[in-house]
Amino acid sequence: MQALRTAATGMSAQQLNVDLISNNIANMNTVGFKRQRAEFQDLLYQTLEMPGAQSSDQGTVVPTGVQIGAGVKAGSTYRIHQQGSLTRTDNPYDLAIGGRGFFQVQMPSGEIGYTRAGNFSVNNEGLLVTEDGYAIEPAINVPADATNVSISKTGQVQAATAGQTEPQVLGQLELATFVNEAGLMAIGDNLYLETTASGAATVGAPGAEGVGDLIQGHIESSNVDAVSEITALIVAQRAYEMNSKVISAADEMLQTANQVSR
Amino acid sequence: MDNALYVGLSRQILLRRELDIVANNIANADTTGFKVESLMARAEPAAPAHTADGPKPVKFVVANGVARDFGQGALRQTGGSFDLAIEGMGFFQVDTAEGPRFTRDGRFRLDDTGRVVSQTGHPVLGDGGEEILVDPTRGAVAIAKDGTLSQGQERVGKIGVFTFDDLTVLEKTGDNQLKNASNLQPQPAADAVVRQGFLEGSNVNPIVEITRMIEVSRAYQSITKMMDSEQELARRSVERLGRVQ
Repeated sequence: MQALRTAATGMSAQQLNVDLISNNIANMNTVGFKRQRAEFQDLLYQTLEMPGAQSSDQGTVVPTGVQIGAGVKAGSTYRIHQQGSLTRTDNPYDLAIGGRGFFQVQMPSGEIGYTRAGNFSVNNEGLLVTEDGYAIEPAINVPADATNVSISKTGQVQAATAGQTEPQVLGQLELATFVNEAGLMAIGDNLYLETTASGAATVGAPGAEGVGDLIQGHIESSNVDAVSEITALIVAQRAYEMNSKVISAADEMLQTANQVSR
Repeated sequence: MDNALYVGLSRQILLRRELDIVANNIANADTTGFKVESLMARAEPAAPAHTADGPKPVKFVVANGVARDFGQGALRQTGGSFDLAIEGMGFFQVDTAEGPRFTRDGRFRLDDTGRVVSQTGHPVLGDGGEEILVDPTRGAVAIAKDGTLSQGQERVGKIGVFTFDDLTVLEKTGDNQLKNASNLQPQPAADAVVRQGFLEGSNVNPIVEITRMIEVSRAYQSITKMMDSEQELARRSVERLGRVQ
């Protein structure tokens, strides 16, 4: 019975939906997290009677065919790269990106990772690193005696050092942008990897055309909206329930068929 | 004598098919741009399987076709700049390897070359049948109610919205796409409005579907009952007639 399998596809699709919603809610307070959305598509159709098939020698045609769908599938899990709201922290190494762009992170594997989470710190060698201790690319070296580190909108890092009246330029931060941000692959730890779907990274200074600004002393919150996630959760739960009802109806019909008199 | 069984069976076959369609509707209750379907039945007068004294009017039930309700689904705000919904009758056109396909699923995005593509990665076509290219570095994309794309002050293209004089020529192919199964030409949809930042939900009404599902399973049961008593009748007549002898 097709209805059984069709309802099963509906249930597994809603299960995936709930998985994504729970991940979104779990990451509500994750810096730079971008919410995901399940995208559903209808599955293939089985054509029992072709629309437009000849119904007689007189050239009359069937106006509408009989097509029976096989259910639903999850087309993709689409990551929505919408700007998250900014939270003020007053930590000089906390950076938020206002607009497009990703920080580049030198990962231990040698690859470049991309992240929107700008809660950086300085490690024992004076390098600006992420929460996991991965260095930012291009590397910014903060001398031990540097005070009043300031990072401009355009990514210039300056600090006052002992014995100098003028602030010293420590380096220039750069951001990477992608044509299709949704095509990036998330690998956890707030990091993304470039894929063929995202296109190659274009590296530019913050504030340049098409690249976002840097905002020092702020972090970008996740773009998860609790109300819409909870609403989506209710919808998913009800849809799951309805599909299970179809399964019991189909089961009941099969049972009836089995009880046709001996 | 067996007619009642066969007529009942034709109804049962139809009911199973109807449940398949209801199941598909419910499974796709949350699918963007999905259009609800229902099975149409018709009576098929046929020669009775057994005729004792001339043909009797026996009518089987057969599937006449699947009716597709192209009514508007509810719009849901998402805020995505390439999330588009059509208000009114019309379809977006996407280009696939198997030819053009029509869809009301407006979850578009940019691919790695900056083309506007559908969720399945097929390029979305403009009103003249051309692909639409967007340079994301030039700022936010605004999409007007007629489908015109602009970045800043500059027009970069227009998303085509098409319709057909006769919607029954459309055939579903899955992936939220519809195929034009005739040589009818798509017409530009004049009265359709494109809404940016919205998606059209399915127009499945869960209450209607669950009611139909109950109806189907009860009808199936009553047909089974009828077939049962028909059997019983046959059994008894054999028994009684045998006793007279």
